Amino acid sequence: MVETGHFALVLAFALSLVQMLVPLVGARTGNQRLMAVGGPVTVTGFALTALSFAALASAYAGSDFSVASVWENSHSLQPMIYKITGTWGNHEGSMLLWVLILTFFGALVAVFGNNLPASLKANVLAVQGMIGAAFFLFILATSNPFLRLNPAPIEGRDLNPILQDLGLAIHPPMLYLGYVGFSICFSFSVAALIEGRIDASWARWVRPWALVAWMFLTGGIAMGSYWAYYELGWGGFWFWDPVENASFMPWLAGTALLHSAIVMEKRSALKIWTLLLAILTFSLSLLGTFLVRSGVLTSVHAFATDPTRGVFILCILTLFIGGSLALFALRASRLTAGGLFHPISREGALVLNNLFLTTATATVLVGTLYPLALEALTGGKISVGAPFFDLTFGPLMLPLLAIVPFGPLLAWKRGDVIAASQRLMAAFALAIAAVLVTGLFVDGASVFAALGVGLAVWLVAGALTDLAVKSGAGSVPPVVMLRRFAGLPRSVFGTALAHLGLGLTLLGIVGTLCFGTEKILSMHPGETVELSGHTLRFEGLTPQKGPNFTEDRGRFLLLSDGNADGEITSAKRFYPVRQTVTTESGIRTLGLSQLYLSLGDENKDGSVVVRLWWKPLVTLIWGGGLVMMAGAAMSLLDRRLRVGAPAKRRKPAAALASPT
Amino acid sequence: MLFWVIAAILTLGASLAVLLPLTGGVKGSSPAGDHDLEVYRDQLSELDRDMARGLIQPGEAEEARAEIGRRILRLGAAAQSGATNSTSSRSARLLASVAVLAVPLLSWGLYGMLGSPDLPSQPLAERLAKNPADSSVDELVARAEAHLAANPSDGKGWDVLAPIYLRLQRFPDAVTAYRNAIRLDGDSAVRQAGLGEAIASAAGGIVSADAQNAFEAALKLDPANAKANFYLAVGLAQEGRKAEAVAAWQKMLGQLAPDSPWRNAVQQALAEAGEPAFAEAAPANGPDAQQVEAAQQMSPQDRQAMIETMVAGLDDKLKQNPRDEEGWMRLIRSYVVLGKADQARDALGRAVAVFGADSEQAKKFTAFAASLGVTATE
Repeated sequence: MVETGHFALVLAFALSLVQMLVPLVGARTGNQRLMAVGGPVTVTGFALTALSFAALASAYAGSDFSVASVWENSHSLQPMIYKITGTWGNHEGSMLLWVLILTFFGALVAVFGNNLPASLKANVLAVQGMIGAAFFLFILATSNPFLRLNPAPIEGRDLNPILQDLGLAIHPPMLYLGYVGFSICFSFSVAALIEGRIDASWARWVRPWALVAWMFLTGGIAMGSYWAYYELGWGGFWFWDPVENASFMPWLAGTALLHSAIVMEKRSALKIWTLLLAILTFSLSLLGTFLVRSGVLTSVHAFATDPTRGVFILCILTLFIGGSLALFALRASRLTAGGLFHPISREGALVLNNLFLTTATATVLVGTLYPLALEALTGGKISVGAPFFDLTFGPLMLPLLAIVPFGPLLAWKRGDVIAASQRLMAAFALAIAAVLVTGLFVDGASVFAALGVGLAVWLVAGALTDLAVKSGAGSVPPVVMLRRFAGLPRSVFGTALAHLGLGLTLLGIVGTLCFGTEKILSMHPGETVELSGHTLRFEGLTPQKGPNFTEDRGRFLLLSDGNADGEITSAKRFYPVRQTVTTESGIRTLGLSQLYLSLGDENKDGSVVVRLWWKPLVTLIWGGGLVMMAGAAMSLLDRRLRVGAPAKRRKPAAALASPT
Repeated sequence: MLFWVIAAILTLGASLAVLLPLTGGVKGSSPAGDHDLEVYRDQLSELDRDMARGLIQPGEAEEARAEIGRRILRLGAAAQSGATNSTSSRSARLLASVAVLAVPLLSWGLYGMLGSPDLPSQPLAERLAKNPADSSVDELVARAEAHLAANPSDGKGWDVLAPIYLRLQRFPDAVTAYRNAIRLDGDSAVRQAGLGEAIASAAGGIVSADAQNAFEAALKLDPANAKANFYLAVGLAQEGRKAEAVAAWQKMLGQLAPDSPWRNAVQQALAEAGEPAFAEAAPANGPDAQQVEAAQQMSPQDRQAMIETMVAGLDDKLKQNPRDEEGWMRLIRSYVVLGKADQARDALGRAVAVFGADSEQAKKFTAFAASLGVTATE
C-alpha cells in the first residue's frame, strides 16, 4: 500500500508534466485534440494524488514505522485522531496535502468548466499543471513522504505535542484550501494573459473562486488564532508573528480581489486591476508557503529545516511570481480595459477599498520581510512586533472600516454620498450612543476604547442598515418590506453578513484589549482568588496519565455567592517521548466572554503559579470570523448572474432615495 | 508481485487519460466569441427576472440592457478577426506521441530511482501479531511491552525485559523495568546491580548517588557481585579517589574467576586509570607480554620508573590483601632486584607478621629471602 502511494505520486508528477505542456501547445496552435487532453489528465492526476495521500494516511493510521515520515512524527500510543491528523502535521505530509488540494481544485475546473471557451480552459489547466509539476518535483526531490526504513523501528518519535490537538484537524486543511484556492484565480489570470484577452466568462469564474478561497482562508486564520490562544497558554489571539502574517497577507489581498472581482463581474470594469490582484494574491500565498516551509522562520510550523528545501521553494517562488508579473508587463497593454465610472459610486468605493487593502498588505509585507532581509544582509536580528503594526496597519484600517457601510449603499456607476449618509444616520446615531455609553458608564474605558466600540457598532449597524434599505424600510409598508426582505438576493445577505462579522471581530478585539484584566499569583490548594467579579478556588493538583503523556491537572472551582458554579481545569502535560512539557489552559465561556487560566510552575512550598485572565467579548473575535464565512457561503449559494444596473446620469433626488 | 500488477494498472489508466482525448473525435466546439455571447444573453435574461422580482427599477433595467447591448456589438466586431484551426499538424502528432510515451517511461524510471518496491507495508499491529520466531528483537520487546501494559504486575516479565532494555541501550526504560521487578519480585543482588547500571548508563555513565545506593544494596546481598564492585570503583574514580578505585579493581582481579567476563573490563579500567593490571593472581605472574615489550622499548630511566610503579602497586595490593603467598615472594624479590635491601627486609617482616612467625609460610618466606641474601633481622 505504501509503495502504491509512492508510485501514484510519481505517476501524478508525470501527468502534471503532460497537463502543463499539451493543452498549452494545443491552445497556441488551436488544436482541439491537444486541448482536450487537459481535462481527463487533470482528473486522473487528482485521483492519483488522492490515492497517494490515502496511502500515506493509512500508513500513519496503522503506525507503519517502515515509513520514515511516520517514524519521525507518530507514536503507536497516540489516539487514532492524532495518528490521522499527524499525516499533515509534518513537512512532507503537509506538502502532499497542499498538492492534493491543488489537484482537487484543478479537477473541479476540468469537470465543471464545460461552459468555458476551450482555449481558456486549456490554458487554465496548463497553468495549474505548471504549479502542480513544480510542487510534485519539490516533494519528490526534497521532501518525499514515502522514504522507507529497513529494518523498520518498532516505535515512532511521536508527533510534536503542541500539534496533538483537534486544531490540527481543522486549521491546516482550511488554510490550504484558502491558499490553494487562490491558485485558480491565478491560473485564470495567467491564462487570460497568455490568450491576450479577457472573456466575459472569465469574470463569472474568478469571483466564486476568490470567494471560496477567501472563505476557507478566513476560517483557517480564525481557527489558527483560536488554537494559538488556547494551546500556547499566553492568552493572546494574534502575535503579529511572521507565520501569522504569511497567512494574513493573502487574506488582505484576497479581500481586495474579492471586491474588485465583484466590480468586474457586475460592471466589466477594473479588469486589468483584478487580474493583477489575482496574481499578487497567489504570489503572497506562495510567499507564505516559502516563509513557513523553508525554515527561514523558526516556529512550530517549520517542522524540520533543510536548506535545500528553502532554495527549491525560492526557485518556485521566483519562477511563478517573476514569470507571471513579467507576462503581465508584456501583455497587460493588449487587454481591453473595462467600463467607466464616476469616482463617487459603488465602483469608486470598491477602488478605495482596494487602495487601502493593498497598502495595508504592503505594510504587513514590509514588517514581515524587513527583519528577515536585514538578518540576511547584516546578520543583525531585529524584531518588528506589535508596535510597528499598531502604528502602520492600524491607522490604515481605521478609515477603511469607517467607510465600509457606505459602499453597499452607493449606486453603480454614479453614486450620491449625501443620500447614502442620510440613510446611515440611524447607524451613526447608534455608534455615537455606543461611544457615549462606553465612555461614561464603563469603568476604566479610555477614549480609544470608547471610539473602538463605536466603530464596531457603526459596522454592525451599517450592515443592518444596508439590509433594511434594500428591503425598502421607511418607504413601503412593513408587509411589503418583509416580502422584499425575504426576496433579497443571497449575495446581499452575504455582503451584510461579511461586514457584520467584521464589526463583531472588531468588537471582540476592542473588548479584550481594552477591558480585559489579568493576574499572576501563586496559590496554595484551598486559596481563592477574585478577578473582575469572578471568584475561583484552587482545589489542588492531581497527577493523571493520558495515552502518551502524564499530567498534573489543577482543578479550580468557580464560586458564586459561596456555591460552586462550575469547574475549570488546567494542566501541565509531559510527553516523555519528545521530553516536552505543554500547558493545557483552562477556559470557561461565560456569555461572550471567557475566563482563561493557565498553570505555571510548582513552587517549593507546594503552591503553584497561576495566571488568570478575564477576557470580555473575546469569543466575538472568532465568532465574527464564522459570520464572515457564513456571508461568503451565502454569497456562493447565490446562483444568479451578477448584473449591476448603472444609475442614470441625472436622477431626481426622489428617485435616489428609493432602493436600488 | 501484487504491487507490480497495481502499478501496471495505474500506469495503464494514466496513459489512457492522455491517449483517449487525443484519438477521440473532435467535438464541434464553438469559438470563444460564442461563449461571450452566451454570457451576455444570460445576463439579459437575468435582468428580466430581477425586474420581475422587483429588485431593480424599470429605468435602471433599461440602462443595464443598453450597456449589455453595447458589449454584444463590440463582440461582433472582434469576432471577425479570430479563427481557430482544428487540423492536426505533424508537430502536434509528434507532441501527442511523446506525451503518451512520457507517462509510463517517466513514472517507471523515476520510481525505479526513488522507490523500494520490495519492501512491504508493515503496520504495527500486523508486525506484533506474526509468529515470534520470525520477529526481530525490537518486535519481541514491543510484544512484551504490550503484555506488560496489560499485566503491569507481572514481575517476571519486567525481570526478563530489564536486561534486554539495557542491551538495547534503552536505559530509562531499563530503570523502570528493574524498579518494577524489584518492587514485585523482591530484592536480589542481580536486580539491584542492574538497576544501578541502568541509572548510571542513563546518566551517560556517571555513577550518581542513586546508582551508588543500588550497588551498595546489591553488595549487601552478595558481597562478591562483580558488577556492583566494578561500578562502585568507577564511582570512586569519578570522585577523584583514584587510588581507592585502582585498589578496588585490583582486589577484584584477585577474586574474579579466571573466565569471568568482568576481567577484561577491570583490566581496561585499570589501563585507563594509568595503572597496570598488576595483581593478576592466577597463572600469569608479573607483567604481561605487552608490558614487557613496552618496557624494553623505554629509556633506562623510564623503565626503572615503570618497574618501581609496578612494585609499589604490588606493595599496595598486599597491604589490602595480605594473605597472598606468591605476592609476598614476588615483592621481596622485586625489592632485591631493585637493590632496595631495606624495603625487601621490611616486606619480609610484614609477610611473616601476616601469617604468624611460626607458620609454614613464614619459614618458607625466610628461606626464600635467605636465598636472595636477605635476612629478617640485621
